[in-house]
Amino acid sequence: MNQSSLNNSQISFSTGRGVNKLGKAATHYSTSQVLGRRGLERLDMLLLVIESLDLNGSQAMVWTSKKMGLDTKLPNAVEVWKFRCHNPLRKATRRGVLNSSESDSLILLVCAMSERLYPILRQLVSSKEPREINEERWNQLSTRLKDLVSERFNKRRGAVQALLASEKPYNSIRQLVLSLSLCAGSGGFDRLKASLHDVTI
Amino acid sequence: MRNTISYIHNSSKLTLEGLPDLSLNQDNGSIGILSNWQLQIVGLTELEGKREHLEQLMNVVYPYARHLVSSVKKTFGELKDPVAISSNNSYHQIMLRSSKPGIAPMELQLDDAELSDLLRCLDDLINDQRVLLTWNIPRSIPLSRREIIGKLPILQRFTAPVLGITTMLFCCLIFSVIPTPQRESAGENYLDNTDLIQN
Repeated sequence: MNQSSLNNSQISFSTGRGVNKLGKAATHYSTSQVLGRRGLERLDMLLLVIESLDLNGSQAMVWTSKKMGLDTKLPNAVEVWKFRCHNPLRKATRRGVLNSSESDSLILLVCAMSERLYPILRQLVSSKEPREINEERWNQLSTRLKDLVSERFNKRRGAVQALLASEKPYNSIRQLVLSLSLCAGSGGFDRLKASLHDVTI
Repeated sequence: MRNTISYIHNSSKLTLEGLPDLSLNQDNGSIGILSNWQLQIVGLTELEGKREHLEQLMNVVYPYARHLVSSVKKTFGELKDPVAISSNNSYHQIMLRSSKPGIAPMELQLDDAELSDLLRCLDDLINDQRVLLTWNIPRSIPLSRREIIGKLPILQRFTAPVLGITTMLFCCLIFSVIPTPQRESAGENYLDNTDLIQN
């Protein structure tokens, strides 16, 4: 049962234990709703954190999307990059919006990558890990993330400047890492999708 | 005939014991009637109970985790409820109250990693096709504006409206101080115009 499929009504992906129906729980909001600006920014930031945690993250994303049967939507790294360029904070930003099936495929990818990186995510958010070692892990993650942000994002934007300027942006990064750890697994898709559709203020 | 299914994720282990509902032609390996469950979290007291207790636990853990994904820390469960969860500094505190009188409530403090493990165990249970039970749990839905605003610090929340009202009052004050230009009377204008015509 390693087949997986993606459509508007029901979404499933395979894990080691068999196929899990992620879309089984019908959501109260419209499933065809497009992601807003804040949602796109946050989704891209989550993918960026994944890339910071995994040095071969971009290749792993392509490999994971093929494994999950998302290769019609995300066949290669260029297509993933094109979807991510809808983030208005990027240097090379694209106009328009992602339709629901495109954003769903990116959300599925985030959930699958979170499951793959779960041991690392767990180490980072655990209070039982040795403090010095964990601080070093957070420092490394923060440095890599800042490097990626300054390389790909528009530094004239206030949000980007705020992230790059702070000496220890642990709170915002910790929140992203915690979101990833809570979205790993079979129920993570619904939680993350609902979170990305939060009303913006 | 009694079946046992376990879900293990690092620090958490959830074990279900039950029977298939043969009246509904369920498979021998499935659970259609839940007789007991146990939850073991490393370093914490073991929990066990009936189906309704597990559903009550899910009913607070799921919305709490959903809010946490959006960086909103909210308490779920009232003082009289059997299960409640709230945020306590960097920990998540689950409060369990027994329905029997004279038994003190029990507190479990989970860190972020343990909460994630527990959530993954519950997710696995809900999506397990061997467990043929219908769970009455809340769905994940986007948070409302009010819930999002609640997480903002007071200073940040009121800066924009206070600044807007102050600016408007300042502009009103400035315009009220500026003297209004005196308009010439209509008769004088008429005479001036007639002079021009005559010339």
